[in-house]
Amino acid sequence: METSRATNKALSRRNLFQLGGIAAGALTLAGCSTTSPQTTSGTLQSSGKPSGQISILDDNTNMVFKNSTIKAFEQKTGIKVATYQQGNFNDLHDKMATMFAAQDSSFDVVMTWAGWSAEFGQAGWLEELTKSDVPTDLIQPALDAVSWRGKIYGLPKFVSVQTMFWNKDLYTKAGADPAAAPANWDEFVQTAKKLTSGDQFGYACDMGNPAGAYQNFLRMLLLSGGQMYDADYNPTFASDAGVEGLTKLVELLQVHKVMDPSSLQITNASDLADLFARGKTGSVFNWPFQFAVATASTSKLTKDTLGNGLIPGISVRSASIDGSEGFAINKYSKNKQAALAWLQFVTTGDVQMQIVEKEGWFPVSKTVLNDPAAIAALPVLTTYKESTKYVTKRYGTPWDNEFDLALSVQVINAMNGKTSPKDALTTAQKTAQDLVKKYLKS
Amino acid sequence: MAGTLVEKSRKRDLRFGLMLTAPSVIIILMLLGYPMGYAIFMSFHQWNDKLGADHQFIGLNNYGQLITDPAVWAAMERTAYFSVITVVGGVALAVIIAILLNRKFRGRTLARVLLLVPWAVPPVVNGIMWKLIFDGSVGIVNTILRSLGLIKENIQWLADPTAAMNILIFAETWKLLPFLCLLMLAALQGIPESIYRAAAIDGADAWNTFWRITLPNIRGPLMFALIVQSMWSLKVFDTIYVLSGGSGGPVSGTTTINFLDYITTFSNLDRGYGSAMAVGIMLLVLIVSAFWIFVFGGFSRKRREANG
Repeated sequence: METSRATNKALSRRNLFQLGGIAAGALTLAGCSTTSPQTTSGTLQSSGKPSGQISILDDNTNMVFKNSTIKAFEQKTGIKVATYQQGNFNDLHDKMATMFAAQDSSFDVVMTWAGWSAEFGQAGWLEELTKSDVPTDLIQPALDAVSWRGKIYGLPKFVSVQTMFWNKDLYTKAGADPAAAPANWDEFVQTAKKLTSGDQFGYACDMGNPAGAYQNFLRMLLLSGGQMYDADYNPTFASDAGVEGLTKLVELLQVHKVMDPSSLQITNASDLADLFARGKTGSVFNWPFQFAVATASTSKLTKDTLGNGLIPGISVRSASIDGSEGFAINKYSKNKQAALAWLQFVTTGDVQMQIVEKEGWFPVSKTVLNDPAAIAALPVLTTYKESTKYVTKRYGTPWDNEFDLALSVQVINAMNGKTSPKDALTTAQKTAQDLVKKYLKS
Repeated sequence: MAGTLVEKSRKRDLRFGLMLTAPSVIIILMLLGYPMGYAIFMSFHQWNDKLGADHQFIGLNNYGQLITDPAVWAAMERTAYFSVITVVGGVALAVIIAILLNRKFRGRTLARVLLLVPWAVPPVVNGIMWKLIFDGSVGIVNTILRSLGLIKENIQWLADPTAAMNILIFAETWKLLPFLCLLMLAALQGIPESIYRAAAIDGADAWNTFWRITLPNIRGPLMFALIVQSMWSLKVFDTIYVLSGGSGGPVSGTTTINFLDYITTFSNLDRGYGSAMAVGIMLLVLIVSAFWIFVFGGFSRKRREANG
C-alpha cells in the first residue's frame, strides 16, 4: 500500500514532466515552422516615393560606398541602408546563389556583372527593370554588363575595360621607347623580349583559374579579329582568328619565353596588379584599378614611371575585354522601390566622380566621362575613351561557369604544350555548342 | 500483483524516457533527415535553376547520367588516388609516429605538444599557408631549392595538375596527422606494459612485437581512424578550394568527387544532378565504412578462431 502511494506520487511528478516535455516539444516545433522561407516579395512600382530600409551585398572592389555614398543616399532619399556587406568576388557567386535558391530576402540589392546578370537573370532571381528605370546618361557598354538578351537586370556602378600598363623604367633600361605603347603585336613581342632577363619578365597575366583563362583567351581572340559567338549564340571561337590568338598566347610562354610562368597560377587581377607593382614585370593588360595599385606608396612605380595605352592588336589595331560591374535587385526583396533608388543614386554624377577620383574606375555616366576634371584625376580615362573606337566584349552568358571551366582545361593544356591550339579550341567549341543547346533551347 | 506493478512501472519509465528524448530526436531528424530527404527528392527531378522554375520528375535519369559522365569518373579516379594515400598512408604514418612518441625519450612532452600545432591551424589558413609556400614566384620552396642549386628556374607547382594534387595530399596529411597520432597514442597507452615484458622474455623481436601485440591491441581505434579518415578524404573540400582559388584546378587536377559536386550544385546551379551526386557520395562513404568494418571484423574472427 505504501509502495502504491509512492508510485502514485512519482507518477504525478512524471505527469508534470510529461506535460512540460510536450509543451517544450510543441514550442520547438512551432518555432521551426516559422523559419520556412518566405516566398512573398514586393513589386517594383514606378510611382510613389520610395522609403523604408534596404540591405546591400557588394564585392570588395569599392570602398567609396561605405565611406560616403551610403550617408549621402540616406540624407537625400530618407531610405536607411540597414546593412552594407562586402565579400570577396570569388566567393560571392555561391553566396548569392544559395540566397536566391532559398528565396531569401536578406539583401535587397546585390552586386552583379555581365555573367551573373545573364545567369541569375535567366534563373528568374533578379528583378527586371523597365526602360523608364534606366537613367538616360548611361554609357551603353556599362548597361550591357547588367543585361541579358534584351532584358535589363540592374544598373551599372562602374565601367571596367582592360588597357595596357607598362613599366617605363624597365622600358628605358631595355632600350625601348617608354613614351608609347607598342603599335602592334609583333612590336609588343619584340619589346617583351628585350625586357625579359633572369627573373624579370616582359609580360604577365592571370590565368590560374577558369575565369582568368577565359578572359585571357577572349582578349587574344578579339585582338585577332575573332568573336566568341555569332548573333544567334552559335560558338565561333574555334575559327582561324581564335587559333591564331591562342597560338600567339602560347608562343609568349613557350617560344618567346617572355611570359612570367607564374601567370598560370595567378588566380585574380589583384595578384597580377601586385606583381606588376613589385617592378619586375615589363607589362600587363589589366583593369583600371591597376593605375591606383601601381602608383600607391608601396609600389616600385610612380605616376611618372607608369605607362598606359591601348592593347596592341594582332590583326586589328586594338581590342579589349569588359569587366564592368553593377547592382541588381533581388527578386525576393520586400522593398524593391527603395532598392531601385539605390541603383539609380549610384549612377549619378557626384557618385561617379568619386569612383573615378578615389578608386580609379571608369564612370558609367557620359557627362562624367567627358568632364576634364575626371580625366585630370584619372589619366587612364584618355586611353579608355580611345579604346571605345575598338571592339570591347565580355559575352556574359548563363553558362559562363560551365564553359569557363571547360575552356580553361583546353587553354591550359595548350599553354603547357599538351595539345595544339586548334585541337584545344575545337574540343572547347563542341562543349560550348552543347551548353548553348542546353540553355537556349527555349 | 507485484510483478504486474513492476511491469507497468517499467513501461511507464520507458514511455517517460521516450517522451524526454522525443524533442531531441525530432530536432535531429529534422536537421539531418529533412535535408537528406530533400536532396533525394531533388535528385529525382530536373532541377537546374538556369533552366527555369519548372522542375520535372525524371526518375533515375540523374543517376544514369552519373554513371556515364566522364567528369564523374575522372573525379573518382582523383578521389581514389587522394584517398588511398591520405587514408592508408596517413594512418600508417600516424601509427609510426605514435609508436615513437610512446617511447621514453628527452623532450617527449614537447614533441607531443608540437604534434598538435597543425591541428590548431584553421583549415582555410592551412590552405593559404601551403599556397604561399608553393607559390611559383615568391614561394619558399622554390627559394630553398634555388639556393641549394637543385633548380635553376622557379617551378610552377600549382600550375601542374599532378604536382597540385600531390601538394594537396601533402597539405591534407599535415593537417590530419595530429588527430590520428593522438588517437593511436591513446590506443598504445592502453596496452598493458606486462604484455610487452612477457614478449621480451619470450624473445619476440620488434616486428613480431608490433605484429602480434601492438597491432591486434589497437585494432579498434585503428578501424575507427580508417573509417573517419576515409570519410574526411572522400569529403575533402576546404584545402582544395583555397589551393585552387575555388576552381579545382589546374586543369581540374584537384577536382575530387566532392568538389565536383560543389561545382555542379553551386557554380553550375544544377541542384538535381548535384543532389544525385551527393547521394552517390553518401553511398560511397557507407560502402567504404562497411569495407573497413568487414576487414577488421574478419581479422578479429580469424584471431578468435586461431586462439580456439
